[in-house]
Amino acid sequence: MKNVILTISILCFSIFSYSQSDTVKIAANLTPEQIAQNDYNSGLNYLNNNNPSMAIQLFTQALQNMPNFEKAYYNRSLCYIQLKNYPEALKDINQAIQLKPSDEYYFTKSLIFFHQNQKDSLEQTLLKTLVINPNHAEANYYLGMLYFNYQDYDKALSYYQKAIQSKSDYAYAYNDLASTYLMKNDIDNAIKNYELAAKYAPNQAFIFNNLGSAYRQKKDYNKAIEAYSKAIMLDNNYFIAYINSGATRLEKGDIVGAKSDFEKVIQKDPRNSAAYNGLAGVYIKEKDYKKAKEMATRAIELNPDNGQAYYNRGIARQMLREEDAACEDWQKALKLGITPAKSFISTDCAD
Amino acid sequence: MKKLSILLFTMIALNGIAQNVEFEKKNFPGRKDELNEAKDNIKKGDEIFEQGEAYYRDALPFYLKAQNFNPNNAKLNFKIGLCYLHSFEKKKAYDYILKAFQLDPSVDPKIRYYMGRVYHLNSEWDKAIQEYSACLNTIKSKEEIKDVNKKIQECNSGKILSQNPIRVWVDNLGPEVNTSFNEYSPVITADESVLMFTSRRPGGVGNKMDESKNEYFEDVWVSYKVGKKFSQAVNLGPPVNTENHDAAVCLSPDGQKLITYQGGVNGGDLFISYLVGKQWSKPENLGKAINTKYHESSASFSYDGKILYFVSDREGGYGGHDIYYAEINEKGKFEKAVNIGPVINTEYDEEGVYMMPDGKTMYFASKGHNSIGGYDVFKTTFENGQWTKPVNLGIPINTPDDDAFFALAGSGRRAYYSSASLGGYGGMDLYKITILGPEKQPLLNTEDQLLAMSAKPVTNLKVEQAVEVTKPKMTLLKGIVYDAKTNEPLEAILNLIDNEKNVILASFKSNAATGKYLVTLPSGKNYGIAVQREGYLFHSENFNLPADADYQEVTKDIPLKKIEIGNTIVLKNIFFDFDKATLRPESFNELDRLVKLLTENPTIKVELSAHTDSKGSDEYNMKLSQKRAESVVNYLIGKGISADRLIAKGYGETQPIDTNDTEEGRQNNRRVEFKILSAK
Repeated sequence: MKNVILTISILCFSIFSYSQSDTVKIAANLTPEQIAQNDYNSGLNYLNNNNPSMAIQLFTQALQNMPNFEKAYYNRSLCYIQLKNYPEALKDINQAIQLKPSDEYYFTKSLIFFHQNQKDSLEQTLLKTLVINPNHAEANYYLGMLYFNYQDYDKALSYYQKAIQSKSDYAYAYNDLASTYLMKNDIDNAIKNYELAAKYAPNQAFIFNNLGSAYRQKKDYNKAIEAYSKAIMLDNNYFIAYINSGATRLEKGDIVGAKSDFEKVIQKDPRNSAAYNGLAGVYIKEKDYKKAKEMATRAIELNPDNGQAYYNRGIARQMLREEDAACEDWQKALKLGITPAKSFISTDCAD
Repeated sequence: MKKLSILLFTMIALNGIAQNVEFEKKNFPGRKDELNEAKDNIKKGDEIFEQGEAYYRDALPFYLKAQNFNPNNAKLNFKIGLCYLHSFEKKKAYDYILKAFQLDPSVDPKIRYYMGRVYHLNSEWDKAIQEYSACLNTIKSKEEIKDVNKKIQECNSGKILSQNPIRVWVDNLGPEVNTSFNEYSPVITADESVLMFTSRRPGGVGNKMDESKNEYFEDVWVSYKVGKKFSQAVNLGPPVNTENHDAAVCLSPDGQKLITYQGGVNGGDLFISYLVGKQWSKPENLGKAINTKYHESSASFSYDGKILYFVSDREGGYGGHDIYYAEINEKGKFEKAVNIGPVINTEYDEEGVYMMPDGKTMYFASKGHNSIGGYDVFKTTFENGQWTKPVNLGIPINTPDDDAFFALAGSGRRAYYSSASLGGYGGMDLYKITILGPEKQPLLNTEDQLLAMSAKPVTNLKVEQAVEVTKPKMTLLKGIVYDAKTNEPLEAILNLIDNEKNVILASFKSNAATGKYLVTLPSGKNYGIAVQREGYLFHSENFNLPADADYQEVTKDIPLKKIEIGNTIVLKNIFFDFDKATLRPESFNELDRLVKLLTENPTIKVELSAHTDSKGSDEYNMKLSQKRAESVVNYLIGKGISADRLIAKGYGETQPIDTNDTEEGRQNNRRVEFKILSAK
């Protein structure tokens, strides 16, 4: 969750909506309120032009003249969010909410908690947003994400579905809903929703990559490779899709195709550990254990945390009769979270 | 021009194919002495050759000298081939037999048969079938036709099995164990710490030759595991080995009982010897139920020692050597032996029976079923009251030559056997099989951006199906029995009890010198283990192993306490109904043991105390434990023990011996104890 960032598009959407509705007429003798509104509008321009610091000054001036100007608090809060000054952002959004509670204000407050990784507060605030507006698509979506990260997939499903009910072309919600189905091993529903996500966001490579992986899980290798190819077509440097495609081809028995995918990545990114690990897999399948070991070793050199590479090097080493070293590799893989190594350790490394 | 080319080609072709060269003067002008020497060598070789197949290999040095002089004589090549086929290096026959045919296709009426043999031994299945089929046209004897057809069938089995070789490593056990002579019949303890085997090497007891086989007499040799290797083998010596044949047949999982074969007795009989301290006792004949005037060879006890499976060629079987079994009755005598039946026994020989400590898996060697040549190793399991159809263990364990005497370690990960066809040091050698299980698949998980808002990809671990060696479902319990006060190792009797059926399944002894014991417990039973020795309080353990409990090794050293005032024992096989003081029937064996102890020691007075864990209120636990202690005392009184010798005491949760924070700890705390209060 902590890695998830707020998309600027949401912010822009909010800012834009206010800048359209709050046109202020400038008169010769200005009341404090009028001055405040003037400053507010100028601040809004700075915010729209990506200058949150100047915008803050103007919103502050506006608030000096009009202390109950909740929109100024709100927009200044957005500026602080842009500047990642979350404590100040929180103060302002709280002021705005106090002056005029609304679903958007609560939702913005929840985004601050989101950035601060305060999951409990995030949950509470999103739920408050939904009390005011149960059809708030983004709030439902964020709650879906929150519960996904809590691995409470049933709740996640429910909120993603509500998000989609509120916004039927919500591509990201379809994607995440599909991923939730995937976690629940409901592959058919995962595929269905990834396809809907791809329909509404046909240029997003990651959605096609996810779709490919769902097909791979279903062992529909041809469709998986087709989806990965689409992802690669959309983003020629999308290495994840290349590697997934290679892994799928290997599983399908297309050793030549798999090798080609991994080698393409290495050509573009010679320090790609996963691609070398993929080649290790290729050589294991070819029973060329010496080369497999070499490739896995390279993968480990490039990324010492690549547990899969340790796992695969262990397989190669065992077949090279380096049994003790194989067991050491599997131990290391297990420490790095590769749980399938456990069964090898118990069966092959007992003495 | 065209004719000239053909002539030239023909000449070249003829030059390329060697011609049969007789040992005649005209073929070796100016080499009279060498020719005479070669002919002399052939004569000497022939003299030995005529003594019979067992001596063929002794003729080889003479034939090979003559061969050096003239390598292109069909008959000599054929004889060398035959000698090798009857030697410890059978595969060397290949070149000589094929060359003999090349030099003279009519060198011997059975040349096509022997070509079939060498192709067969070399696993060239199609060529072998072709030659065997060709030789069928030249033989008429029903016996020979049957033999050749059997060999064709073996080749067909070989073709099938070679398509799916099994994933094992087969490693020669090395010069510490193997020699250029025959080694076979490895037997091991369940933990692989001791390996015994039969060898026909020189240096045995008597060190004499068996003239009929032109080999040394068999002796039992022993080697110990040191790290991952076996130590230099040593002769087990007398009294197990005698001047005649003595072969290793079966070693009990704990290494305390050894069955041997003695060839000089009654057509070959089975004997049993016990390890007393560090010495093996004089082998005792297993008796008439097992041994007959016929040939009894290999044998294996069931895990509980109550059934002996053995091999005999006695009358009334299905042909050749068959597998029989004999149950041991309550008096410790063998009941009448029963043929194990046609699912396992064939018209051909069965040998090397080995019963797994899991109590239901049997390995044996057979020349029948779908053998790919000679003896092959097969597996069968006892399911639903019958033996399953034997399954060939496959290539590379089985080869076209003899492969037999398979013994699987308790872990199920390694096995030992003897094979004649894998090269090695000569003759049959001992090999270690490492079972690799299904092929391990590389792990290449997909990396996905599962959440649209994720900046960093979330790895979706796609877990491959676990690759697991099918392990026997059993627990290997081992350790040392010792005096709790002096720490001296003790010989003690370990009774293995089926708590549910309330019967003693088996009795074992710990070694007198080392105190070591090893017991195998197949999963699926609630076992009580009572360790007893005169003058000591018994020690009890409980192993409740569900049917799906995987293989595990448990080391448990057992301190025995003398019958002295103040000494206590925890009675681990006393069970009560949940939250009640009602004794469960599974407790009766332990309680009866207590009755016996009190009867045999009439002067002692004891306290029977019951303890609970910390769940429940103090008061409740105190009451429950008091009632439970009283239940135990009442049982003892009911069995005739005087009430004034018994005190029932409930301690509730006041005397924990373990933590109450874990289930295991709480289980240890819920217990019944027995304490000697006075001995007068």
